[in-house]
Amino acid sequence: MSTETKPKGALYSRIDDLWTTVRDQFAFLRQDPLAFGGMIVVGAFVFLGLFGPLLAPHDPIEYTVRGDGGSVLRLSAPSAEAFFGTTSYGKDVLSQFLAGARPTLIVGLFGGLGTGALGFTVGVVSGYYGGWVDELLMRLTDLTFSLPFMPMALLLLTFMTPNIWLITAIIAAFLWKMPARVVRSEVLSVRERTFVKSARASGASDLRTMLYHVAPNVLPIGFLYTAYGVAWAIAAQASLAFLGFGDPTMTSWGRMLRQVFASGNMRVAWWWVLPPAIGIAAITTSVFLIGRAYEEVINPEIQTNQ
Amino acid sequence: MTKFQRFLLKRFAISVLLTLIAVSVIFVVLRLLPGSPFEALVTSGNLNQEQITEIRSMYGLDEPMWKQYVNYLTSLLTFQFGYSILRSQPVWTVLEPRLINSLILLVPALVTTAILSSLLGMYAGWNRGSRLEKFSIVSTTLLRSTPVFITAIGFIIVFAYNFEIVPALGMRSIRATPDSYLETFVSLDFLHHYILPFTVAVLYYSGDFLLLARNGVVEKRGSEFLKLHRAKGLTEMQQLARAGRNSMLPILTYFTLRLGMIFQGLILLEVVFSWPGIGRELVLAIQQQDYPLVQAAVFIMALAVILANLAADVLYAYFDPTVSTNGGGAT
Repeated sequence: MSTETKPKGALYSRIDDLWTTVRDQFAFLRQDPLAFGGMIVVGAFVFLGLFGPLLAPHDPIEYTVRGDGGSVLRLSAPSAEAFFGTTSYGKDVLSQFLAGARPTLIVGLFGGLGTGALGFTVGVVSGYYGGWVDELLMRLTDLTFSLPFMPMALLLLTFMTPNIWLITAIIAAFLWKMPARVVRSEVLSVRERTFVKSARASGASDLRTMLYHVAPNVLPIGFLYTAYGVAWAIAAQASLAFLGFGDPTMTSWGRMLRQVFASGNMRVAWWWVLPPAIGIAAITTSVFLIGRAYEEVINPEIQTNQ
Repeated sequence: MTKFQRFLLKRFAISVLLTLIAVSVIFVVLRLLPGSPFEALVTSGNLNQEQITEIRSMYGLDEPMWKQYVNYLTSLLTFQFGYSILRSQPVWTVLEPRLINSLILLVPALVTTAILSSLLGMYAGWNRGSRLEKFSIVSTTLLRSTPVFITAIGFIIVFAYNFEIVPALGMRSIRATPDSYLETFVSLDFLHHYILPFTVAVLYYSGDFLLLARNGVVEKRGSEFLKLHRAKGLTEMQQLARAGRNSMLPILTYFTLRLGMIFQGLILLEVVFSWPGIGRELVLAIQQQDYPLVQAAVFIMALAVILANLAADVLYAYFDPTVSTNGGGAT
């Protein structure tokens, strides 16, 4: 076997294969107008997350917008002083919107990656070994299924001071079960294929077989669920912030919505509601649309266009 | 014992064990919470030390931890959840009406969306590549991926504030003083408050059912048994009905799982609409550190999930014997 004699060369060719796959997926996404639109939104969102706080014309919390006469502009509609209007405390909505993208990006990215990585590992190990390992890990996923996410997250966040890393960890700790189950069922079928069996027969270790023969074949579905994990994490973070369990030191889109809701100004201040609401809706939907197109690559049976 | 019976027994035992672990986790987390629910009463100076000791023993908080744990387990088993600290009422008296308020909103919404969006999904799947299919997929993806409170806020702004067709908050108008559940729920005033949250819930859940049904029909469409039906001369609609019937199982299983997750998913919906349900009550109880109320509410939510998972697994194993009966559940 070439993998045994020239491990390095095999590794490079694997990386090449992977790269070709990534490029193919990219080309595919460009064909699908919905997924392509989603990619543009995601790109814009990542840009906002990285540079939004720097672009913000004012400090989202410290600065108070003042009108010509020097008086504080409270709840004023969009104008030359504040392009997106002001909040009931006279804060600049545009600055809050720009700064609020960052926590959303951090939790979405790391929550999603954590969910995907954890679920993928559990799924591969559980499916590959079977037996008591499988039994143990699957009962563990059952346990996270039976602890209701929202109430448990609320409990934990009252008990510990919320910060975005803690929120990210809680989200990943509860959501990995989804990819774990799907990846496991894929591994169960891959495990029975000839090349895996021959790798085992030729003396490859369990770790090696898992890493080189099983994992690459279930990677696409792992990526797919990582993408969904990103959307779930963003939605969960926004929801927690809306309920008042977000990071109190950071402006986030969910927190903006909480403030406009709690202050009772939702009826009048549409300029305060729309930016964060559209921001969250756009990014979660975009990630899902990309995932959807990607799902069709993995499972061509369900493609939209024949 | 048949294989299926053994599977049932094992699955049931696992559910009992999971319930035990889940309630233990809740117990530990609550005991680890800093501060005590009585602190507010003590610091306000309304109680002296003697009264505090008395209250603590009344709630069993002076007992050793293991005894509190045993008491807690027995109380859950008998559904005697103790007294709510801040409402000075038995927990169940507080929770029961709220539970019913939640169920009356969520169960009809879930049933409606399961039926309507599954039918729509089947139709869309049958007419693959049509404009209807694309539109339904995009709109339901938008609705299911957007957090429900954002959709709710959007609907409130449009229908309650701009058009002023429906009220934005509450379950009944403030002046309504109904005496019984029947009087509460059978009235125009209630219906008026009901429409908006109901619609949002239906739309929020539509996505998953629609996609499941659509994918099921699309996968069945090319299969042999439908060719036979076509050859027999069945109309398009009759063929669709058969393809649809054959993709019912995942929808049914998913429905059961959703039913179990119903309370927690809609905590946000209840908060936005000020709907006096169990989810909103839980958020309030957590903020006020009302232990007995919190643990009862979380217990009910966890129990619903565990029972629904059990039901889904059993359903699946019963209707589709090809599914391995060694614990590989649905989803």
